Amino acid sequence: MDVPRTVATALADRPVAGKRCLEAGAGAGNATAGLLANGAARVYAVTNDRDHARTTRRRVGDEGNRSSDGDGNDEGGDDHADRLAVLEADLRAVPLPDDAVDVITAHGLCNVLDPASLSAVAEELSRVAAPGAHLVVDDYDPVPDGAAIGELFAVENAASELSRGRPALTFYPAAFLRRFFAGHGWEFERERTLLEPVPWTESHVAAHADQAVDAAKEGPGETGDALAAAARRLESEIGSESVGRMYGLAFRLPD
Amino acid sequence: METRPLGDTGHDSTVATFGAIALNWLEQEGANQLVEHVLDYGVNHFDVAPEYGDAELKLGPKLRQHREEIFLGCKTQERTYEGAWRKLDRSLNRLGVDTIDLYQVHGLEYEEELDAITDDDGALAAFREAKEEGLIDHVGLTSHGDPGLILDALDRIDDLESVMFPLNPVVAGKDDDEYDYEAVLARADERNVGTLGIKAFAGGTWPPTDELPEADRPFANWYRPVTAPDEISERFDFAAAQGLTSVVSAGDPKLVTMILEAAADYDGMDEAAQRSLIERVRHDDSPVPEQLHH
Repeated sequence: MDVPRTVATALADRPVAGKRCLEAGAGAGNATAGLLANGAARVYAVTNDRDHARTTRRRVGDEGNRSSDGDGNDEGGDDHADRLAVLEADLRAVPLPDDAVDVITAHGLCNVLDPASLSAVAEELSRVAAPGAHLVVDDYDPVPDGAAIGELFAVENAASELSRGRPALTFYPAAFLRRFFAGHGWEFERERTLLEPVPWTESHVAAHADQAVDAAKEGPGETGDALAAAARRLESEIGSESVGRMYGLAFRLPD
Repeated sequence: METRPLGDTGHDSTVATFGAIALNWLEQEGANQLVEHVLDYGVNHFDVAPEYGDAELKLGPKLRQHREEIFLGCKTQERTYEGAWRKLDRSLNRLGVDTIDLYQVHGLEYEEELDAITDDDGALAAFREAKEEGLIDHVGLTSHGDPGLILDALDRIDDLESVMFPLNPVVAGKDDDEYDYEAVLARADERNVGTLGIKAFAGGTWPPTDELPEADRPFANWYRPVTAPDEISERFDFAAAQGLTSVVSAGDPKLVTMILEAAADYDGMDEAAQRSLIERVRHDDSPVPEQLHH
C-alpha cells in the first residue's frame, strides 16, 4: 500500500531502520506501513478492533506478495508479513514485556481516547518503551469554531456519551499532549504541521456519521433516533470540508 | 507572471505554459482571441504538436504576429531520422515560422523507442541537424509513460534540454515506481534540464464509454479534469510548488482562463497544504472504507 504523506512526514526524521516498533491503535495500518517501509526490524500493530486488525493484516501484511524491483525505496518489501505482528489487545494492557520496543507511533490515536483512557495508555506505552525509545504522536488540534464538521463530531460525541458514558472524540491541542507526555517522562524533541487544512473527505465524513449512528442505536430510544437522524443529515449537508490542523509531535525517553 | 529558467536553454519560461491544443476546439477567430488572452497574462511559453488536430494552423496567424514574445515548443511522434525531418518541415510549414524554439520527442512510451530515437538513424540525429541549420534551438522530450524510461532518456541523451511529464497530487500520493515522476523531477534538476508538468488538472479517468459516450463528455481533455476555480487553483499551486519550470495548461479552452488566473496569483504553497491535497485525493480514490483519520 502507499504510505500516507502524513506518516512519511512524521517518520522522516525518526530512526526506524532495524528497530522494534509499536503502532499503538493500528486503524487501517497506515503507520505500520510507514514503519515497515522505513526498514523496521519488527512492527507490533496493536488494536482492540477486530476489523482494524484484519484490515491491517490485509493491507500491510499481504504486501509481501507484491513484487519489488529492488530500487531500495521499499526496503524488505517482500517480507512485510515476516516483520509484522498484528495484536488484538487493549492498549491499556499491551501484551508485551517492559522495555520491548524502540519506536512507538500513536498516529491519530489520542483523539479516540478520553482523558482517563489517555492516561492509562500513556502509562502502558511508557512501560513497554525501552530506554532511549522514540515516541511519535500525530493528532488534530481542536476543530476551529464554526466548522461544519464540528457539528458532526458533536453529534458523534453526544451519542457516545449517552450510550457509552464517554466521548467518541477528544481533540487535544498539541501543547496539551506535549506537556502530558513530558509528564510521563518523555522528552519533547519537535513539532511539525502534517496537514493544514485537514481534508475531511466524503469518506471520512461518512465514516464518522456511521460511528455516530452506531453509538446512537445503543442509546435511549427517542434521543438515539434523533441523534442518528442528525448524523445522517449532517453527513449529506457537509459532504466534505477542509479545516483545522493535524500536527506531529516527537519525543524521546532518556537513555 | 513568475518566470523560471528552463534548464540550460537560457530562456526563462512563465510558470504557466499555454497548451495550444486548446485552439483546436475553436474557430479561427476564437483561436486568435484566446492567444491574445493568454499573452495578456504574460505567458511566454507555448506548446503545440502536429497531432492536435488543427492547433498548429490555428496558432499560426497570432504566432507570426507575436513571434518575439513566444517561446515555441513543438513535437514529433516520429522515431526515425526521415520521419522526424518530414514532420519538422510540416510543422514549420503549418505554423508558418522559420524556427521552433524547443522541438520535442513526443510521447515516448517504450524502451525500444528510446533505442530508436538515439540510433544513428533515429529522430535525434534529425533534431541535431535541424539545430545546426538553425531550424530549432533546443531539444526536449515528452512522456506520460514509465518514469524509469524518462530517467533512462535523461541518462542517455546528453543534449536533452527539457522533459515534459505528468505531475499532480494523485500520482504524488502513490509510492509505486510506476508513478515516481518526482524522481524524474529530481534527476532533471540535477542535470539542469527544464521541467514541464502535464496532467496537473487531472481528476481521474472518464467513465467507460458505455456509461458516458465520448460525445457526451463535457470537456475535451483526455482525462476528467477538475473544473471548479478553487480546485484548478490548488492543482496549479501544487504543480508549481513541486519545482517544475512550468505547468502546461489543460487541453480544453473552457479551463484556460481559470488556469491563467491561478498562475497569475501563484505565490507558493506550503508543505502542509500540499500534503493536505495529496491526502484528500488519496481518500477520494481509496478502496479502504471507514477511515476516521489521515
